[in-house]
Amino acid sequence: MHAPSKDMRTAAPSPLLAASALRKSFGGAQALKEASLSILPGEIHGLVGANGAGKSTFIRILAGLVQPDAGEIQLEGKPFAAASAHQASEAGLSFIHQELAFVPDMTVIENIMLGLPKRTRFGFVDWAATAREALPIARRVGVTAPLDAKVKSLSTAENWLISIGRALVRKSRLIVMDEPTAALSVAESERLFAIIRSLSAEGVAVLYVSHRLDEVLELCRRATVFRDGRSVAELTGSALDKPALVEAIVGREIVKTGEAGRAAKLGPVVLSVRGLSREPKVKDVSFDLHEGEVLGLGGLVGAGRSETARLIFGADRPDGGAMTLADQSFRPRNCSDAVKAGLGFVPEDRRAEGLILTKSIAFNVGLTNLHSLVFSPWLPLVSRTRRNALSQATIRDLAIKAPDVDIPVGKLSGGNQQKVLIGRWLRSKPRVLILDEPTRGVDVGARSEIHRLLRELAQGGMAVLVISSEPEELPDLCDRVLVMAEGHIVGDLSGADLTRGAIVAASYGAREERAQA
Amino acid sequence: MNDLSFSARRLSPAAKAALGVFARYATILGLLAMIASFSLLSPDAFPTVNNFVNVLNQTSLAMIIAGGLTLAVIVGELDLSIGYAASLHGVLVTGLIVQTKLPVPIAIVVVVLLGALIGVVNGLIVTKLRVNSVIATLGVGTIVVGLTFAYSAGVPIAAGVPDEFLDLALARWLFGIPNPIIVMALVLGGLWALVEHTSLGQEIQAVGGNPAASRLAGIDVDRIKIIGFVISGMCAALTGILLASRLGSGTTSAADSYLLTAFAAVFLGSATLRDGEFHVIGTFVGALIIAFGFNGLNIFGAPTFSQYVFQGAILIVAVGLSSLGRMLAET
Repeated sequence: MHAPSKDMRTAAPSPLLAASALRKSFGGAQALKEASLSILPGEIHGLVGANGAGKSTFIRILAGLVQPDAGEIQLEGKPFAAASAHQASEAGLSFIHQELAFVPDMTVIENIMLGLPKRTRFGFVDWAATAREALPIARRVGVTAPLDAKVKSLSTAENWLISIGRALVRKSRLIVMDEPTAALSVAESERLFAIIRSLSAEGVAVLYVSHRLDEVLELCRRATVFRDGRSVAELTGSALDKPALVEAIVGREIVKTGEAGRAAKLGPVVLSVRGLSREPKVKDVSFDLHEGEVLGLGGLVGAGRSETARLIFGADRPDGGAMTLADQSFRPRNCSDAVKAGLGFVPEDRRAEGLILTKSIAFNVGLTNLHSLVFSPWLPLVSRTRRNALSQATIRDLAIKAPDVDIPVGKLSGGNQQKVLIGRWLRSKPRVLILDEPTRGVDVGARSEIHRLLRELAQGGMAVLVISSEPEELPDLCDRVLVMAEGHIVGDLSGADLTRGAIVAASYGAREERAQA
Repeated sequence: MNDLSFSARRLSPAAKAALGVFARYATILGLLAMIASFSLLSPDAFPTVNNFVNVLNQTSLAMIIAGGLTLAVIVGELDLSIGYAASLHGVLVTGLIVQTKLPVPIAIVVVVLLGALIGVVNGLIVTKLRVNSVIATLGVGTIVVGLTFAYSAGVPIAAGVPDEFLDLALARWLFGIPNPIIVMALVLGGLWALVEHTSLGQEIQAVGGNPAASRLAGIDVDRIKIIGFVISGMCAALTGILLASRLGSGTTSAADSYLLTAFAAVFLGSATLRDGEFHVIGTFVGALIIAFGFNGLNIFGAPTFSQYVFQGAILIVAVGLSSLGRMLAET
């Protein structure tokens, strides 16, 4: 592994953007040690790397959100340093982040044209002119919703398309996309790829940042790999394949999970769900979850899986149906009831619904373990010593990368945040642990660690329910997979039937049947 | 990610770090600078033990009500009813003692329980009816003003207040320290321990930090918010009682102005030592700044209008510092 800092072999066209030897540290932590990357005009360039490898910091530097400590960025051969997001935007760089920044109460047109509406002579917004400009762009990126629809009523996929539209309005020369397909279905992803390719053909460069290596391989002819704050490889042409990427990302062997835990015999039924419904998303859902079982819940985005999980966890109230937990009737009025009854939940949106970002790791881990951290029920003082010991054990067990337990979780990378969120349930040992997209936006190494951890928990007798939109994730991880489509359970796969293809077929098959019916 | 934070992002890291340190310690530096300059300007009247004890005694009532308000704002709500409620409590406690002839301790317990009840009402309106807390507590506060007038018809209850009640605020039962200071120390000490060191306190901080995440971590968010309002209401009752004892009468509107002082103290406090986070020690420091400011203005014989200007200005500075702290914490 050599540092490709001044990799000037490719003499061909001069790069649109060339960053060389960027360094950045936050407090004691060095997020970027020596990161270089160059993007040609109109190129789709992949950027991959484990969580904490420095991708986010790199992007934030390009966007003018943080300033590098050392290193240089050139834009079309001229030195470029964005001192603010506004300057980066002026220079023709656009950024579409994992967590989309929208004004939810505003309409499609307002979001696309945010900041640059047309004005009439009197200084009022000229909505007709604004719409004339926005409409072709909206249609070009494939937004089918009416322009006056509020964005909060649209799907994540459409929000992505609107973000791309916003970049086009600003005549961007480079669009940086961070995990664009994380929340998209297969079909939506395909549409996005087509749009990315047509952007490229028109000379707009795309920096495609993703953990999904197959997508990177499909879209990009060149890719840069970051590891531990350094750019460790730039792969082109025939050298760009999956084994090479994985090796560069991980720098070590990946432990395969899967088969190891598969032999475990299932215990008795812990959670039994019968006819659970909440219109319009969840319709007559029934299943049994066994002790020691890892049960997957697959299907397309919007199939009603998260909604089902929320019903079980007491976050929403069902319209109908019944549940039993360990043979007792289970009717949680709220999440607090569910936790007391022995359930744990790792939500999909870890930043908005999972963590208290301004608080420390110790605080976040301690929150679900307070009863074991106080001196006694009669003296509910929280022992700092015990809380720190618990957090240190969590950091160690889950290999969380953090300097100490007092660092705010908001400052950790996505994968490490996810580990904190899972880690808070390890000590309180719920009977049923529900995880919604636990590996979304998490790197290859952390993903296999999370998988191994879930298998271990199941072997210890916990019942684990995992929701995932990635069909390839479930067969490896789960004993059994239920597939949902449009609120119904349409498939129950286990043993030899449990394959990626079967999950995909079930999720789509049902949809077509219903469309015909 | 909002436009407000861009101004901070344009700074160099070193400047930002310096600004962060400044934002955290600005209030304490301001307090020390104020004490130092008043001491130099008025070496005879200002830097004396008597004056300091006097300032602390005067501000103890504000500190108690501000301490309660701190709990309400930590859980993410505002409580605008506290000033009006404290006025009602003052009128009611004197009325119960003088007119109903209740023994003093029982009258006090009744009034503190009423304070808790007002907190419960506030909390239920905010959590169950999902009314914005500004509107809810303003409405409840206005109703409380009505109750005060209904009870006293606007006439101060002053005659026949027993010494036993007056001693509450005026006597020095312990080591010659004025009673209000003792009560304040107990209340703020208790609140500090509650917030920082108990499991309930962890839940209170979590709810303020992210209600959605707290709910999914199994915390009963509504219950925690109601507790925040209850503590705020009980502290308002204590302040109302001590004020009535100090004034020797139950006077309508007597405690109304504590609302503004409490908010200024709480927001100044959130910019103290932490980045825009509300906490009890911060509130204590915030209240001290306001108290010494007023004391200085008094000693130098500043006209009445300047005290209003000072209080309004300090509220704006407080909120400004608080949001600056939060902004720096986000980057």
